[in-house]
Amino acid sequence: MRALDRVSLSIESGEAFGIIGPNGAGKTTFLGCLLGFLKPDSGRVTIEGREADDLEIRAATGYLPERLVLDRWMSGADFLRYHHALARLPEGRRERDVMEAIERVGLEPESARRSIRKYSRGMLQRLGMAQALLGEPRYVFLDEPASGVDPAGVVLFRRLLGELKARGATVVLNSHQLEQVERVCDRVAFVQHGHVESIETVEAGARVAHVLRVRWSAEGQAIAGERLAAIAAESGAELRSATGSEARFAVSADEVAARLLRGLIGAGLAVVEAVPEESRLERLFLGRPAGSPPPPSPEAP
Amino acid sequence: MNPTLIVASIRQRLASPLRMAVLAALVGLPLLPVAFAPAPGLWFLGDSMGIALVVAAGAIGPDVSAGVLQILFARPVRRSEYVLSRWCALASGSALVRLAQIAVATLILAARGSAPASHDLVSLVVGNALTPIGIAAVLVMLSSLAPGLGDLGLYLLGNLAGLVLEFWGRVAGRSFLERAGDEVRRFLTPDVDISPILNGGDVPWFAIVSYLSTVTLCLAVAVVVMNRKELSYASG
Repeated sequence: MRALDRVSLSIESGEAFGIIGPNGAGKTTFLGCLLGFLKPDSGRVTIEGREADDLEIRAATGYLPERLVLDRWMSGADFLRYHHALARLPEGRRERDVMEAIERVGLEPESARRSIRKYSRGMLQRLGMAQALLGEPRYVFLDEPASGVDPAGVVLFRRLLGELKARGATVVLNSHQLEQVERVCDRVAFVQHGHVESIETVEAGARVAHVLRVRWSAEGQAIAGERLAAIAAESGAELRSATGSEARFAVSADEVAARLLRGLIGAGLAVVEAVPEESRLERLFLGRPAGSPPPPSPEAP
Repeated sequence: MNPTLIVASIRQRLASPLRMAVLAALVGLPLLPVAFAPAPGLWFLGDSMGIALVVAAGAIGPDVSAGVLQILFARPVRRSEYVLSRWCALASGSALVRLAQIAVATLILAARGSAPASHDLVSLVVGNALTPIGIAAVLVMLSSLAPGLGDLGLYLLGNLAGLVLEFWGRVAGRSFLERAGDEVRRFLTPDVDISPILNGGDVPWFAIVSYLSTVTLCLAVAVVVMNRKELSYASG
């Protein structure tokens, strides 16, 4: 079984880099190599020119694994104190940092005093995120961070990822939640069948054909299907279907979608919603046969 | 060695009710005959193997099986540091428990007017401190090789194999088999008898060097195995 081969990429300092791909594609193996847990048969992984398992690098690293297994005999707060000490962070700051981390991931201080054994899946994931963020690491590796987290937690994690990016941390994010990856990451690697198929900027998805669903107020002006088709044709799009106050258009890029919306509004429609049926990452990577060339992307390295 | 890991290892043991219950039985039950038998003595305490096994079994294997090492080794912790800290915690923990048991037994005997001779006591204390330390090193090595509590299984299996070899050698009149069995068991339970020194005899250099080399070898093997171990979600 091939688990990645000939991967060659560089992640810039301060960049948010996403890894996506189907189950069993080798994403976690890739992350394991980046963290120095797995030794490649050939090739090297270096961070700041040092080996991936260099202790100085590890002191600046936060990691949240996909299958989070914690020392269940500890309390949540004890677990964070333990990792604070292992991370060589100043002892004088320990209590303050731990309490801040607990608050940051939305755990109640009371629950942090409980045994980890009694934690739900979502609470465990929040605690895991809290330990990954201890000490404001420069490198953050997150493997399915929002797995098992409730919707409020997903929103919170998205905000935390945004904060990481804003403070210049280098983030490597492996996630099935394409929306999360799209919001956070600058570039994304698509891993499939054990190797990196392509690396794209998220913006590249704007130049890929997709279907745009447009909805307008039913109380406003009515419009005939022929008129919709004409507006679509004028803007370079194509009408796929129209029912009442909603229509679906095939557009070749985001610029075409913008022209189409201007045309529809210009025709007197009270447009209330325009939603792509697929996210930019879905457009870029999904449904594309393995090994097929990625869409043209002048910004891609 | 890493004090954080040492403290965490000891707390991990203390947090296991089953392990603590067995340990309490192993420590407490032998004290009953010391307290109440008509002819009391420290021999009722038996050897320190049981306590060492209960404290040190599963030295590393359960951490590997459970998957907690991934998150641990993402921290600036050398694997050798982890191995040696585990050994230090388990060795000192089991030795201290054994010495506490001996101390309580000695106090009981003194209260009953049967205090042991001082040189017997010194010999017992040194021997019972060294044996758990040695067994902990052996279990750390076996635990680096086997998941879960496999180290305990390997330890018991090794002892059984040693006994069978000894028995077979004796029955078949093959002294080398008898010796091999004895060596296997001595390797698994390293100890040093210092009574010759206390009785004015020579220093048992061979026993001391054998003990130290066994402990060193076991820890070195454990470090090498852990250094070579790849941590994936399938590990263990």
